[in-house]
Amino acid sequence: MKLLRLALRTLRREWRLPELRTLAAALVLAVAALGVVATLSARVEHGIVASAAELIGGDVGVHGASPLPESFAARAKQLGLKISRDATFPSVAFAGDRNQLLDVTAVDAAYPLRGRLRVQDAEGHEQAAHGPAPGAVYLDHRALTDLHLTIGQPVQLGGQTLRIAAQLNALPDGGQLVTMAPRAVMNLQDAHRAGLLGMGSRAGHDLLVAGEPPQIRQYVTEVRPLLQKGQRLITPQSTQQRMRAAFDRAGAFLRLTALLAALLAGVAIALAAQRYARRKTDEVALLRALGTPRRRVLGLLAATLAALALPALALGSVLALGLSQLAWHLAGELLTRVPTQLPWLPAWAAAGMGLAVLIGFAFPPLARLADVAPVAVFRRSLARRVRRFDVLYLLPVLVAVALIWLQAGNARLGPILAASLFGVVAAAVLLSLLLLWLARRIAPGAHPGLRLGLAALARRRGLSLIQATALSLGLTALLLLGVIAPSLLQGWRNELPPDTPNWFVLNLQNDQRAGFEQALRDLHADGLNMLPLAVGKLVSIDGQPIDQRPLPNPDAKRWADRQLRLSWTAALPSSNRVVAGTWQGADPPTPMVSIDERWRDLFQLKPGDRMTFQVGEATLTTTVSSVRKVDWSSFQVNFFLLLDTAHASRLPHTWIASFHLPRGQSGALATLSRDYPNLSLIDVNALLDRVRGIIDRVNVAVRWVLGFSLLAGILVLAAALASSAREREHEAALLRTLGAHKSQLHVAAACEFALLGLIAGITAAVGAAGAGLWLARGVFRIPGYLPPWEPLLVAAAAAALSVMLIGLAGTRRVIRTSPLELLRRS
Amino acid sequence: MTESDKVALDARDVSKHVVGPTGRIDILDSVTLRVPQGESLAIVGASGSGKTTLLGLLAGLDTPSSGEIHLDGHPLHDSDEETRAALRRQLVGFVFQSFHLMPALTAEENVMLPLELDGAEDARTRARDALDAVGLGARRSHYPHQLSGGEQQRVALARAFVHQPRILFADEPTGNLDRRTGNKVCELLFELNHSHATTLVLVTHDTQLADHCMHVAELDDGRLREPA
Repeated sequence: MKLLRLALRTLRREWRLPELRTLAAALVLAVAALGVVATLSARVEHGIVASAAELIGGDVGVHGASPLPESFAARAKQLGLKISRDATFPSVAFAGDRNQLLDVTAVDAAYPLRGRLRVQDAEGHEQAAHGPAPGAVYLDHRALTDLHLTIGQPVQLGGQTLRIAAQLNALPDGGQLVTMAPRAVMNLQDAHRAGLLGMGSRAGHDLLVAGEPPQIRQYVTEVRPLLQKGQRLITPQSTQQRMRAAFDRAGAFLRLTALLAALLAGVAIALAAQRYARRKTDEVALLRALGTPRRRVLGLLAATLAALALPALALGSVLALGLSQLAWHLAGELLTRVPTQLPWLPAWAAAGMGLAVLIGFAFPPLARLADVAPVAVFRRSLARRVRRFDVLYLLPVLVAVALIWLQAGNARLGPILAASLFGVVAAAVLLSLLLLWLARRIAPGAHPGLRLGLAALARRRGLSLIQATALSLGLTALLLLGVIAPSLLQGWRNELPPDTPNWFVLNLQNDQRAGFEQALRDLHADGLNMLPLAVGKLVSIDGQPIDQRPLPNPDAKRWADRQLRLSWTAALPSSNRVVAGTWQGADPPTPMVSIDERWRDLFQLKPGDRMTFQVGEATLTTTVSSVRKVDWSSFQVNFFLLLDTAHASRLPHTWIASFHLPRGQSGALATLSRDYPNLSLIDVNALLDRVRGIIDRVNVAVRWVLGFSLLAGILVLAAALASSAREREHEAALLRTLGAHKSQLHVAAACEFALLGLIAGITAAVGAAGAGLWLARGVFRIPGYLPPWEPLLVAAAAAALSVMLIGLAGTRRVIRTSPLELLRRS
Repeated sequence: MTESDKVALDARDVSKHVVGPTGRIDILDSVTLRVPQGESLAIVGASGSGKTTLLGLLAGLDTPSSGEIHLDGHPLHDSDEETRAALRRQLVGFVFQSFHLMPALTAEENVMLPLELDGAEDARTRARDALDAVGLGARRSHYPHQLSGGEQQRVALARAFVHQPRILFADEPTGNLDRRTGNKVCELLFELNHSHATTLVLVTHDTQLADHCMHVAELDDGRLREPA
């Protein structure tokens, strides 16, 4: 208690010290930045997940190759979650003498729990609907056309006669761009009654659940370990490659920004603590000389720090919550579908991390302060034992690494960021040493002011190194946040340029191509890309029939049973890269196939293996020419299997096309749809909007964090410059006593700070560019990204200039004060 | 040569007051003194009598609230800081009680400082000579924390004399030293003072040191007891 009282008294006395204020401000900023990012990203992520949930029809789900045990549904109900069941299977529909293979989704009345099932009635009015009633079915436009049916007519499906209640326009299907066959939605009970889901059926079974995020999380945690072979979780993140990539990137962006802000604050805390420790040296020496044990001194310092930190942590948390609430109100449009309640947990976690930053960065200098020898009351130079290497100073490094590791949440982000920042530190130290070495050599012959400035830097070698490193780190973090992050976001946005294909067309026949192309031109559509599409089956590998071949992976079995989409093209598509073998080209002597990595792994294939496909009546035996890495997150049409053009073009095929149609013109496609009734037109605008929406949300969050980071950066700058203020004040006083001109002191200070700014500017610009390049390649996977050199250099130069101006402003104060007073003070 | 040319330091009716939390505090009250060129003056007095303040005013480190100070004929009381700095650079040397050496500079670099400020080309050579003169030639590359108190003060003496000032101001130059070391420093100070024909103004408690000076002025609560 006594100690606490003493600590409070000390704090009341010392509260006015700039270093303690810097320390408190840095702590508030660290907690606020981490908290705002954590709460905002929790909210943004909720919003993104909620939006993506509309793609799968529920918040999460469980998929099984066979009917799912009742316990999964029972547990969901116990947790108060809503449930819906569905099953998907292929089935042939009959209407008179026509038949058509359909992709059927059998759903219960609750389906969908999230998102919309959109149907169109006979009058052409579109509306949202739930699953059809027993005895009813929804067929999509293509199915209706192929079967020559209209709404209200009967259709035979799975041995039952069902009435077509409406035309199916869209359903939450995981955002698939292209489905193989026309689609139907029927009632789940009907499917059960018809025996379509019994033993031996090829149906996949889904249980979808929806509810509040905590219960959903709990459900996922409980269900995950219960999953058997052939069962998997359906989550918004896992459903769709494109969405998943967007999720990963969004998360990485938000974490990156929070991390940088926290590290900036850490640097400011370290500098402030260092300065505080230096200031307290005499007092601690006196306490020690008067017989205060080291442990008690340490206790007093820790208690003082705690008394300062607790209100700062609380204030930071409150600020974080308040600002994220404000951000939510101001950016409401972008953060729609976000839960309204405040996520407390991230704010507390941020306070915890802030505390770790404080302990990690402030403890070493204060712990060493307690080591001050009592004899230092007589001679200050005896205050500290000189250590070549102080292991305690590894603590901030460890805390920084731990923070990066904890926050990064990405196997690459953490190491890349840590390595980049380490590189910046190393570069700053090396460059500073080089400049200091040069300064020593240049100084003797230089202008007196310049000589003084250079000499000042060289004199305070240790402090100069600390200042240059801290400034470089701070500036790098700022450039990463202010210049690199927006340019990475822009790079991401550029992947989806305004003319990204937003419509896909299936089932285009050879004789329709020319007319269709003309029709699109008339509609001012652009970016038309057509690829042949043959539907076939894998018959054998290396001559061994596929059904006799042992396939350890159940997924491989599923793929082997499926109808496959085969295409061919002379040139390797842009979002593909050959990782093994060589691209087959247009006209190889024997039939060739290029496979995707996933197929290589599923069927353990390698270049040179033979694969035989059956397409209609034709059989084609091909040799694996190459293995491709495909970027499935691109909005290009991609295929697992690409045949060579020369041999494949004989196969029966249709065409798949993608094009970009300006917004608001989709109504015009109705005519196209009437003229070409066999075509399936797929609108991917919604999916594009979702990905763009994620980018916009991340952009908003990054902007909010940037504000904090700028403050943290200014704090680092101020702390770094203040760290040598006492020494500079003493020097200035002495120099003025010895008759230095005002201009000499100005030039000296300008030169000193310009050099510091130069070191920080160069290392930060190069460091941020390097880190940006590395992050773009390793984490965000933005091909062809180049750091924006011009803004980077301008920002670095502006920052270097700011360092100089702030430094000069500090010197003006010293110059105005009487040298006698300064000497007395020091 | 007129009489005023021979006077190195001339202070008339110099007063200094500051405003503190409890109101105006008079530190110096109508102090008048003259120090002829080449002579020495000791200002003695109890702690808090205003000795160091007076020294600061005489050296042009601060300005008086009223009164006139002429340093080698130059009116300090009328000069701005820049002019006073130039006068200090050209005319004045300092020795302080707590040495005031720059901790990050070697002994030699510390001594070079006044020469560098004046743009002297041969700063290093002259600094070495000055260090030799105080017997520290062998320790020129040592940093202050590697030197004893006496050695630090000898470096300070070398720095004070290196640019051959007309007037040397010393504030308790032996105050931080033991008697033996203090005596040595004192001897060195007067020896250098003599050999450079410098005017010396020193503030001290040490009566023995004061006895070395030609004149002694005693300050008591901001007033001079004996006109110097």
